[in-house]
Amino acid sequence: MSHTITIEQIVAKTTDLPTIPAAAIKVMRETQSSSSSAASVAKIIVTDQALSARVLRLANSAYYGLSRRIVDLPEAVVVLGMKSVKNLALVAGTYPWMQRPVTGYCLGPEEMWRHAFGTAVASQIIARVSGKASEDVAFTAGLLHDLGKVALSVWIENKMGAILLYAGREEISFDEAERRVLGYDHCQVGYHLATNWNLPEELCEAALHHHNPAQATVHHGIVDCVHVGDYICSAMGFGLGGDGMLYRFDETSLDRLGITTNQVDAVTDEFVEKFEEYETLFTEMAA
Amino acid sequence: MPVGNQLLVGMSEIKVAKGPAIFTCLGLGSCIGLVAIDEQADVCGMIHIMLPEAFKDKPVDKPGKFADTGIPELLSQMEKLGASKSRMIMAYAGGAQVFKFGSDSSSRLDVGARNGDAVTKILKSLGARVLAYDIGGSSGRTVIVNAEDGEVKVRTVHSGEKTICSLKRSAKRLAA
Repeated sequence: MSHTITIEQIVAKTTDLPTIPAAAIKVMRETQSSSSSAASVAKIIVTDQALSARVLRLANSAYYGLSRRIVDLPEAVVVLGMKSVKNLALVAGTYPWMQRPVTGYCLGPEEMWRHAFGTAVASQIIARVSGKASEDVAFTAGLLHDLGKVALSVWIENKMGAILLYAGREEISFDEAERRVLGYDHCQVGYHLATNWNLPEELCEAALHHHNPAQATVHHGIVDCVHVGDYICSAMGFGLGGDGMLYRFDETSLDRLGITTNQVDAVTDEFVEKFEEYETLFTEMAA
Repeated sequence: MPVGNQLLVGMSEIKVAKGPAIFTCLGLGSCIGLVAIDEQADVCGMIHIMLPEAFKDKPVDKPGKFADTGIPELLSQMEKLGASKSRMIMAYAGGAQVFKFGSDSSSRLDVGARNGDAVTKILKSLGARVLAYDIGGSSGRTVIVNAEDGEVKVRTVHSGEKTICSLKRSAKRLAA
């Protein structure tokens, strides 16, 4: 098969590429720093008016059930916890482009969002159950794992049928078919974007290897959590596009995570409950 | 166009109705949407099953979540509306699976395959009359049944909408 356009050209020529607000990336970095404090995180948030308003709105939401009104940003960060603030910053920063249809992959409005947010929630639970990765990083890695699809969407729009036919004929997974037809897959495009944004290494590696976790070189725990989280989210039907579940599931991920099939069923159960609870909360704040 | 209640059957839910109604299980991945009709009693029901069996160490919060607790509960709710197990006819769809290498490969995890196996086994043990099923593959499905004419439709992203059976016409044929 001939490859007509390179990843670099895709990134250069796509006019509607996803972006993450600078403040959200700074908050992510700050919360991962050992010297961070509520004051230092609040100092970044205050530079972004929309984010400041969201943080205060979440801290004052019924979910946290406080009897008094919080008007001070550092106090809001203390109430929410730095991890929740970071998650809110990323969710609010990615929601505007993730909620749009990703037509190349046959995903309607909100479907990419549901899949990304669902994978974030499932990956976070798996990180907790397995103890093999930071819950917080697993959430972020899950949220961003498919960002390559958003960039590739417009380029794949008239090729989805051909890629599916090719995958069926050759009996290969969808990402393998993408590589053979386009010369790269959505994971590699996502990796390219993530590295361009200077995202932390573990997030880049999760974007690159989420369908082939055994190929991870450094951050096995995070990649395995996202691989299993992506599977659970897809199995529950959240954001299944034209590629459906035409991906390989690598059972060695479960071995590395030390998780049994029964535990995956329990995680799935918890995932569906948490998803409903968190989705309403975060979507209201992000919108 | 048929009229009646539009009933969206969400994850783990069981919905039943007497008289005209349209039941929909939206966006099934590895979950299974199962529908049963008793034409004589004019009762129809649908369940959106998430997992094959209830956890042994945890109380069942929603019976519809699991095949082993949900299917008997669906039948019981239909009986309360006047249906009879012996007259019910069923169809089910869903249970999408991950990609597999080769025909002999199997996965200990694959929820879709385990859901399909569990539903098939439970229905067999109940002696249920199953007219059609559409399970497996790697595509997500939406299942719609119109209680008035008994038509069970399955929609996928690529294949559009197809009718897998008509539970009511078949009921007449079987009774004849």
